[in-house]
Amino acid sequence: MPLDTSAYSLALLRVDGRRWNELRRIHAQIRTQAAADGSSYLEMGHTKVMCVVNGPSEPGPRRGATSGGGGGGGQSKNAEVAVNIVIAGFSSVDRKRRGRGDKHILELQSTISQALAASLHTHLFPHSTINISLHVLSQDGSLLAALINAATLACVDAGIPMTDYVAACTAGSTSTYAANDEGADPLLDMNHQEEQELPGLTVATLGDSDRVAVLVCESRVQVSRLEGMLAVGVDGCKQVREILDRVVREKGIKMIQEGTVERGVGLNDMELD
Amino acid sequence: MASSQHVLLSPAELAYLHASLSLTPPIRPDGRSPTQFRPLVAETGILPGTNGSARICFADGTEAIVGVKAEVERTRTRHDFPSLDDEGAEDDDDLDNQHDVVKGDNDWVEMTVEIPGYRDDDAGTVFLSAMLSEALLADGEFTKRLWINRRFHWKLYLDILLISPPLSYPLPLLSLTTHLALLATRLPRLKSEGDEDPLFDDDWAAAPYLYTRPGKKGSKKTVAAPTARPPVTLLVMAVGNNIIFDPSKEELAVADVALAVSVGEHTGSTSSKPTEMDIDTEETKGHHNLRLLSVRTIDPPSRLTPPGIPNASNSAYGANAGAKDTEKKKQQQEQARTTESEAVEGVWKAPRGGAKTLVMAALVQKVLEKGGVADEVLDALDGVDLN
Amino acid sequence: MPITILPPKAFRDQPPSRSLNHDSDDVMSDATSDSEEDSDTQPGGVSLDGGATIHPRKRRSAAAASSTFTKRPKTNVTSSSVPRSAIVTPGERITTDPQWMRGHGTYLSSASLGEQAITSSLAGIVTRTNKLLSVRPLRARYTPEVGDLVVGRIVEVQAKRWRVDVGSTQLAALPLSAINLPGGILRKRTETDELQIRTFFAEGDLVVAEVQQLFQDGGAVLHTRSLKYGKLRNGVFMAVSGTGGGGGVVRSRRQVWTLESANNGGPIDIILGVNGYVWISKHVEPVVPEEAKGQTGITNIEEVVSATMYSSQNDRIEPETMREIARIRGVVTALVENGLRVDEDMVTKGYNEAVELALVSAEGPEDVYLGGERGEQLAAALTAV
Repeated sequence: MPLDTSAYSLALLRVDGRRWNELRRIHAQIRTQAAADGSSYLEMGHTKVMCVVNGPSEPGPRRGATSGGGGGGGQSKNAEVAVNIVIAGFSSVDRKRRGRGDKHILELQSTISQALAASLHTHLFPHSTINISLHVLSQDGSLLAALINAATLACVDAGIPMTDYVAACTAGSTSTYAANDEGADPLLDMNHQEEQELPGLTVATLGDSDRVAVLVCESRVQVSRLEGMLAVGVDGCKQVREILDRVVREKGIKMIQEGTVERGVGLNDMELD
Repeated sequence: MASSQHVLLSPAELAYLHASLSLTPPIRPDGRSPTQFRPLVAETGILPGTNGSARICFADGTEAIVGVKAEVERTRTRHDFPSLDDEGAEDDDDLDNQHDVVKGDNDWVEMTVEIPGYRDDDAGTVFLSAMLSEALLADGEFTKRLWINRRFHWKLYLDILLISPPLSYPLPLLSLTTHLALLATRLPRLKSEGDEDPLFDDDWAAAPYLYTRPGKKGSKKTVAAPTARPPVTLLVMAVGNNIIFDPSKEELAVADVALAVSVGEHTGSTSSKPTEMDIDTEETKGHHNLRLLSVRTIDPPSRLTPPGIPNASNSAYGANAGAKDTEKKKQQQEQARTTESEAVEGVWKAPRGGAKTLVMAALVQKVLEKGGVADEVLDALDGVDLN
Repeated sequence: MPITILPPKAFRDQPPSRSLNHDSDDVMSDATSDSEEDSDTQPGGVSLDGGATIHPRKRRSAAAASSTFTKRPKTNVTSSSVPRSAIVTPGERITTDPQWMRGHGTYLSSASLGEQAITSSLAGIVTRTNKLLSVRPLRARYTPEVGDLVVGRIVEVQAKRWRVDVGSTQLAALPLSAINLPGGILRKRTETDELQIRTFFAEGDLVVAEVQQLFQDGGAVLHTRSLKYGKLRNGVFMAVSGTGGGGGVVRSRRQVWTLESANNGGPIDIILGVNGYVWISKHVEPVVPEEAKGQTGITNIEEVVSATMYSSQNDRIEPETMREIARIRGVVTALVENGLRVDEDMVTKGYNEAVELALVSAEGPEDVYLGGERGEQLAAALTAV
């Protein structure tokens, strides 16, 4: 059934009972897999994503490689971020098998790789590779956003230095392309049904700031609506960053409590003696 | 075919492991007994969007997730409808009509295996999915559960994801996870009758399990004589005279023989297939009637390992390296030539030749014996809480 | 019971669980990190490469030993209230005070008013040494330091050197000129040596070496120029990786020692590489070749002892020794899985405990299994001491 937005302005509630500026429930865990360097599991509503990070490490013996010097003759000065996405066949309502060479998947991989490379301090690990492996277990809209968030969390878990979290979310607009209504509201965090019907975009920011790291819009929307959507999206990203940060902090505090990691200097007692 | 990523071990380590596992009783690197499995964590029902799902983590960090989805599909009419038994010729009884064409088709089950880092059409991946689906479809009973009526059936999609990179041969992990996911699979309850377009109950709580749970009344859906549990595939290996279960990747690297044995449960029905191997037992409490479904040999990675160099022919060893005495050198070289063909103690040599039939028979027998490993595994999986 | 299937920790004692099943109370945009369970203690989720730990009570004695790090705060960490400020996360500003210098794990960012702020780039704890501020991550790969004793595996053989995997972000280099030639010969390496480079070390061999220097990008250069370094044999290898900052194997006074084992096992060598790679083997006295006997003097020691340096052949090892080696391996695993640090002291104590445990067990001294519950028992016994 097509999304019925006619009653929207009356009740101001969306299909799942949210208001225009409410995020869906986000649940995240880090260190879900002890064998990997970093791992995370993230749910945004019903979109469930798992991420495993290995690295930075040096790839094995390259075939036909010359013996470069220790400083890296011919190898890159920055670490390479290699992303691999597997969308499980059972992730959508209809079971659909996606091959590896699927263009949509390739584009997602490339976007995430560039987004993370913008934040990770790759210059500290020349000629090594950071392997990010993402598994999509369930899809309900905002796929790219969930993937970026999961990848960020896993990289934080792996201890890879970065400038800040890359937090992502989606934003949409209640108006369709042709409509000229002034009352069109931007929507935050779209689910699958909304994504199919309404125009939307995915935006990712670098932490709390307004610096946009990723902006993907694959639908048609009037230019005048764009600014509103972007503003709502960036605001949503700030909320997401806050949530991701909370997850990391709680894990860290737990580790200190259990003695896994010893306590360092608190930020409050920073006097020099 | 390369069964797993080649585990890099030095010849000295391989020789030590082999010697350690050849003792009586064998000493495994982590001190387990030969039939002891590593502890694993299992949970089901993690994906509410699927008909059944399961996740298993092994102790070494490997992890797999399996999701089962079912879709209604129209049955292609076939020109020859072989009936199971003679009563099928009668047309008057509705119930019998249902029975006579209850025959599954292997096409009704589609299994895909995704392993990170490998392509879909990689030989190893295709072989794995073939082995897993073969175990499921071998007895021909499973597909009967998917029958709805003469015009429609369920098409079952099993998607198997390996989350971690394949450090050790992933077959047992994937098989156990698939087993659990199938145990947890439920199909909506059928409300329509006969051959009309199927109509299902919207209430998911009323949906029966694909494999009937013990203790509950059997539902109407299971028209065929059910096997009580889905099959399970175990990896078992032999070193010298010892049979070892659940090998870790280091143990597999020194195996003489490695087998993947698929075991299912005996239905007790009268079947006349000459190839099946029934273990002659009556149904004692707690013991399953096990049936061997398939045996596949696995090429252990030990065959790809480079051999160690015995000291006699090691030019970097001992006085040889610094010896100015050419006479001594010649002597030692001659010695080296003779020892090259023999096995030297403490030097690793990759196993050559195939597996002896007796060894393979012993392996299979050990898996299937009453109260043995397969029994324990099936019992333990049964004990997992289904959500 | 040969197979133990454990439910994820949700079904066991504590409510916080690592399972993907969680009771979702549907509060909008609420980050419920319900599953911040210590996955280190769960056998299904942890592997030997899982995060290892330092136990709080023992840490104070380790503080003297592991000296490479910073000044320890004097607060007692066993208190349960750890303030939120104990952890910094990426992008968090630490200070804008210009007197601080910034170390690892931080970068400079511009705050308001044209100031520069030292900002964390990792999730971890802040450490300060005099005026240097750095952030130690909660978990990271091993970072080599000069003088570390490491165990590594050869993964690549190049023209004049080997590339060694030490569990770090980059492969370490072992140049041909940095190894001892057998027989104690001192000469320039020639092309023949380069051609026969695999006779020394081939792919897959294990070496114990010391970090000589670091490249600018952080890669290590190793050397084996000592009697105690070289190719490893007669034993087993295991990998124990730690968290960033000293968990797992700690840098201590003695990384290599010989343990006298029980049950007629004989002496057993244990090498704890700082990078988390451990080697346990039977202690073998170096073989003195015939012609050198009676000529041993200080100048000849190298020549004599390094005769077997590059051998790939194991000596005869008795089953009793193998059993004790398996027991020690189990002890190290149990220490890691239960969050205790791994050093000579703990391993020796753990081993003695394990021997006693085996005596009271059903199978007697032959029982070496120390996984799962037995491991937890062992850890409990150790911390109670």
